[in-house]
Amino acid sequence: MKQLTKSFILMLMFFSLNSFAQNSDGKFQTGVKKGLEILKSSRVSDDFLKVSNYFERIAQAEPKEWLPPYYAAYGELLAGLTISDKALQDQYFDKALLAIDQANNLSAENSEIFALKGYIQFMKMSIDPQARLSFMSAAAASLGKAKALDPDNPRIYLINGQNTFYTPEAFGGGKAKAKPILENAVTKFAIFKPSSTIAPTWGSDRAEELLAQCN
Amino acid sequence: MKLLPLTLLLTLICAITHAQTKISGTVLSVKGTPVANANITLKNTYDGTSTDSTGRFEFSTTETGRYILQFSALNFETDSVQVDLNQKSIILDLKVKPSVNLLETVSISAGYFITGDGKKGAVLTALDIATTAGTNADVFAALQTLPGAQTSFSESGLFVRGGSAAETKTYFDGMLLKSPFNATVPDQASRGRLSAFLFKGTSFAAGGYSAQYGQALSSALMLESTDLPEKTTTGISALSVGVGVDQNIRFKNSALSIGGSYYNLSPTYGILKQQHTYVKAPEQFSGSIQYKHKTSATGMFKIYGTYGETKISLYQDNIDTPALPKFFSNNNNNIYINSTYKEYLGNHWKLDAGFSYDRSADEGLQSAAHYTRTDKLTNGKTTLTYYFGKLSNFKFGAETFNTGRTESLDDLARGYRDQVSAVFAETDLFLTSKLVLRLGTRGEYSSYLKKYNLAPRTSLGLKTGLRSQLSFAYGRFYQNPEDEYLVMKRLNFEIADHYILTYEINRPGQNFRIEGYYKAYTQLTKIQPDNLDNSGSGYARGVELFWKDKKTIKNGDYYISYSFLDTKRDFRDFPTLATPSFAAKHTASVAYKQFIEGIQTQVGATYTFASGRPYVNPNNPVYLSDRTKSFNSLSLTLSHLTHLFKQFTVLYLNANNVTGFNNVYGYAYSNDGLSRRAILPSSKRNLIVGMLMTIGDSTFVR
Repeated sequence: MKQLTKSFILMLMFFSLNSFAQNSDGKFQTGVKKGLEILKSSRVSDDFLKVSNYFERIAQAEPKEWLPPYYAAYGELLAGLTISDKALQDQYFDKALLAIDQANNLSAENSEIFALKGYIQFMKMSIDPQARLSFMSAAAASLGKAKALDPDNPRIYLINGQNTFYTPEAFGGGKAKAKPILENAVTKFAIFKPSSTIAPTWGSDRAEELLAQCN
Repeated sequence: MKLLPLTLLLTLICAITHAQTKISGTVLSVKGTPVANANITLKNTYDGTSTDSTGRFEFSTTETGRYILQFSALNFETDSVQVDLNQKSIILDLKVKPSVNLLETVSISAGYFITGDGKKGAVLTALDIATTAGTNADVFAALQTLPGAQTSFSESGLFVRGGSAAETKTYFDGMLLKSPFNATVPDQASRGRLSAFLFKGTSFAAGGYSAQYGQALSSALMLESTDLPEKTTTGISALSVGVGVDQNIRFKNSALSIGGSYYNLSPTYGILKQQHTYVKAPEQFSGSIQYKHKTSATGMFKIYGTYGETKISLYQDNIDTPALPKFFSNNNNNIYINSTYKEYLGNHWKLDAGFSYDRSADEGLQSAAHYTRTDKLTNGKTTLTYYFGKLSNFKFGAETFNTGRTESLDDLARGYRDQVSAVFAETDLFLTSKLVLRLGTRGEYSSYLKKYNLAPRTSLGLKTGLRSQLSFAYGRFYQNPEDEYLVMKRLNFEIADHYILTYEINRPGQNFRIEGYYKAYTQLTKIQPDNLDNSGSGYARGVELFWKDKKTIKNGDYYISYSFLDTKRDFRDFPTLATPSFAAKHTASVAYKQFIEGIQTQVGATYTFASGRPYVNPNNPVYLSDRTKSFNSLSLTLSHLTHLFKQFTVLYLNANNVTGFNNVYGYAYSNDGLSRRAILPSSKRNLIVGMLMTIGDSTFVR
């Protein structure tokens, strides 16, 4: 009986320790994973806003983690990309920029953050290209920084290729110029290993889709 | 010992079976409309949700105790309530207040035309200014297509709302520029000295401007220089009129730019017949150096210096003795230095300090007489701004100008020197986000005139709808008489009072504006027989319209401006009150730009019309009652974007007056009044071709 009680206590202790561990580390992982699941099933602008809201909530509870504001920015960006109202787009992209800067404050010199920032800046420019040429060079600078920090990050090449794809030929863009960049992106995606199960992995499908359009 | 595991077990069971709290409710705006996608956050937990399209929300939490529930939504103020989670369900009816959206906030705008990239209220971008057809990237020429400004091809400067060119002052980062134009040829307008590409923004005030700016009777042109360039690049320009090179070197927190240019108009003048017979077509060397340093996250130090030399000599028709054309030569050298520093001090204060030095020296022959003329200006200025409330601010500051001219004609010499000191204070008071009041005042003392002045300035803006605004401005403006009179005599300040009423609608991609004004001039300089005094006066009134649309036409935009001007003045050598020669009653411009993707080319066209200008006919007893025929001009530009030697290149063509309208600026009469000579543009048509290349960047940065 005493043995039984002992083993019961040990078992309980083990359980409680385990649940304790899950509460600090596992909770964050699970939380982010859940958000990424919602992201996967999102289709329309409102869905992406809800994803962004979700990550904003995790961000305020986990003020030291850069992934929640990163994904909040990504959600806000996608919400802008899936709506046609330019005034709203502009506001979503502004929010995305704020969130990505928040991520940058938590994790300096992070290639993923600079890559996404370059994406958002390019979209800011695209709303009114003539009046916002300055965003074009800002986007190029962010992507350059991202590349300097980690040349193996495939998203840099996807975003670069995509920006080139949508830039008129006259301004140094076009399908022909985008093609080799996107090919490089596809190659890099094939060998890319995310640093954790919740680190950014998005973009591989998009790279292949755009590359198909180049041919 | 047995109790411990039991307790643990119980706690665990409790935690699992603890009754969740359901929180539900709605988020509505204070007006009662549902707010979708609002973020409901239980602070410091992962729990929360978003509202649906009807503003409803619902979520559950296992937390217990008191928590803060925060709710936020785009364009609304973030707010929070305390909730007690020891209940089974909580129902909340949350209300959110609209947040202050800067784009929808009222602004000070009566009299102002703001241009710049992404600036609030900006109607033209920096690139618009540089690429308007017919202007060859000259800021002053581009501004002549905006309401309020006259077209002037035979006199330098901006003639605004019945004011002379001397009544418009140019400010470079807040510092007064004394000699903003290149050396002048008789009867011809010259370009602005400073490149349009130095500036990211321009505010053109046709009246009613801030107390920060003084010594301008009619108009203030405020140029704001660019910040750090993104990259290290080299720019090369090769035009039919000259060549230029500049090198921008970007460091981590600073940038250095060095540039040089050489212009020679003789090849162009060999092809396009000129009004004058040139002995030496205009030839200009100039060099500049600029250093910018970001001293902190919010601080910026800038210094810019430029030096230029121009040489011209020509024969001008002599109406009195046609056999003896008049000789004129001019050698000009100009040095200009501008340095500014700005920094935020804490959360509420901003410091702006600046220094500038401008010296322009001319020397040459006028017929057989040798003349010299040197204009100098040193300007120092400090401004402190205090920010309060969400939008309001209060600024105050002081500045001093040391200004003067010395001139000589053969053995005769004269000159004057004046120290003008000024203090100013001004507040932009946002009574609500829809109503703003600007109250300002400026006091000046001139050591040469030995006179004080005190100028009140006020402006009011009222948002009448989401996109529309009504504005009013009143201000009094003082200016020293022009140098050519001051070298002769100590006079008094000239005065103008402006009253402006504006209504505007600003929609995304479309701007409409109508502005009416009345201006009263007093104490204008008057030339009396053998004397000068300040007995001149005058008035100007008018209505102006502006419409810009970059929404309707894909890859294209256009703007239309119209000015009606009714003005008379009695000044200088006028025998009576009359409409001056620089005032056309009707002026209209249409500027259109279209980017054609297939051929990677931007095409621009500008058409300008101005009704006839008054001129003095000594044979007509009524002074200034003759009118020239109306002015018409159609100009075209083509900018083809391409790559040369793998470097981004723009091939450029600008043609002025392509249809060859015969335009007349006025007439000069012989002394006996029997014969006259038309004052014409330097040439009927004008053409510039060239290329601009950027090395070190795949995108066009110039």
